[in-house]
Amino acid sequence: MYMQSFGEWLYETPISTMFRDITWIIPAVQSTHLLAIAVVIGSALVMELRLAGVLATDEPAGTVVQRYLPWIWRALVVLLLTGTLLVVAEPARTLGNTIFWTKMALVLVAFVLTLVFRRPLLRAPGGHAAIPAKPIAWLMLLIWVVVIFCGRFIAYT
Amino acid sequence: MSLETTLQQIYDLPISASIRENVNAFPLIESLHVLAITLVFGTILIVDLRLVGFASHRRSADKLIRELLPYTWVAFVLAVITGALLFSSNAPAYANNPEFQLKLLAIAAAGLNMAIFHTTAHRRIADWDLDLPPPAAARISGFLSLGLWTLVIVLGRWIGFTLDVLF
Repeated sequence: MYMQSFGEWLYETPISTMFRDITWIIPAVQSTHLLAIAVVIGSALVMELRLAGVLATDEPAGTVVQRYLPWIWRALVVLLLTGTLLVVAEPARTLGNTIFWTKMALVLVAFVLTLVFRRPLLRAPGGHAAIPAKPIAWLMLLIWVVVIFCGRFIAYT
Repeated sequence: MSLETTLQQIYDLPISASIRENVNAFPLIESLHVLAITLVFGTILIVDLRLVGFASHRRSADKLIRELLPYTWVAFVLAVITGALLFSSNAPAYANNPEFQLKLLAIAAAGLNMAIFHTTAHRRIADWDLDLPPPAAARISGFLSLGLWTLVIVLGRWIGFTLDVLF
């Protein structure tokens, strides 16, 4: 109820109207969003597969995390900014949408798991025996895949 | 026109009709298509950045390419299959969409760029495998690949806004 009236208010704001009126803005922001998702997926794929023991096992885990974790953070900032613009432009499509909130919850879970289980690896190159890296690696990849599906389904619900 | 007949025949296929009629089919295939594209771009980006001169998680360019390219190819095949299914659901509209036509051209150009790289700079990779930055030919291939795949993603997203027939 509160969310609905907030969405209606947001929809009427000049900035929201402008984003919709300039027709190239939404596709351009969505394209940027998609490119940033590709950066997260590519980085997470190599990093998590390394930690799952599938890829680049001849390189220390710390080296691989050092290469890809900063790119995940950068891409997440871009995703947050472009995602916010998309919500401002089309509040009804997102704020009242269960799939949208599911996606947000999953992104938060992925963010917290990365922060708790991946960031410490930056400072402990080579040694990650204390952390159950493998199951979390597969869980992380699964969460990112579900996030992508949720993202596309927002447009249809 | 034979092309129009063929496109109409694709549109009339039972599988095309079922994608149009089942409300969840199109978004599901589209989600798989997005997943495949992010895997293609995400993995190729790592290789391209190495070719342009940014260090990767390993020094050897040759090993990096052999390590990641299988993932790119599997994801590309998934993107082509899902893309063909999405196309079939509305073949005439896609075929007449300028962004779709440009997207196919950009994919062809990216393929040509890759073929040129593999028949030239990649042939001599043993000479520059550990070099940072790599030779100009490799850097040019990397830049072109980055630009073309970015274009592919942007054009792909634009199709969703310019396609004539929406159901």
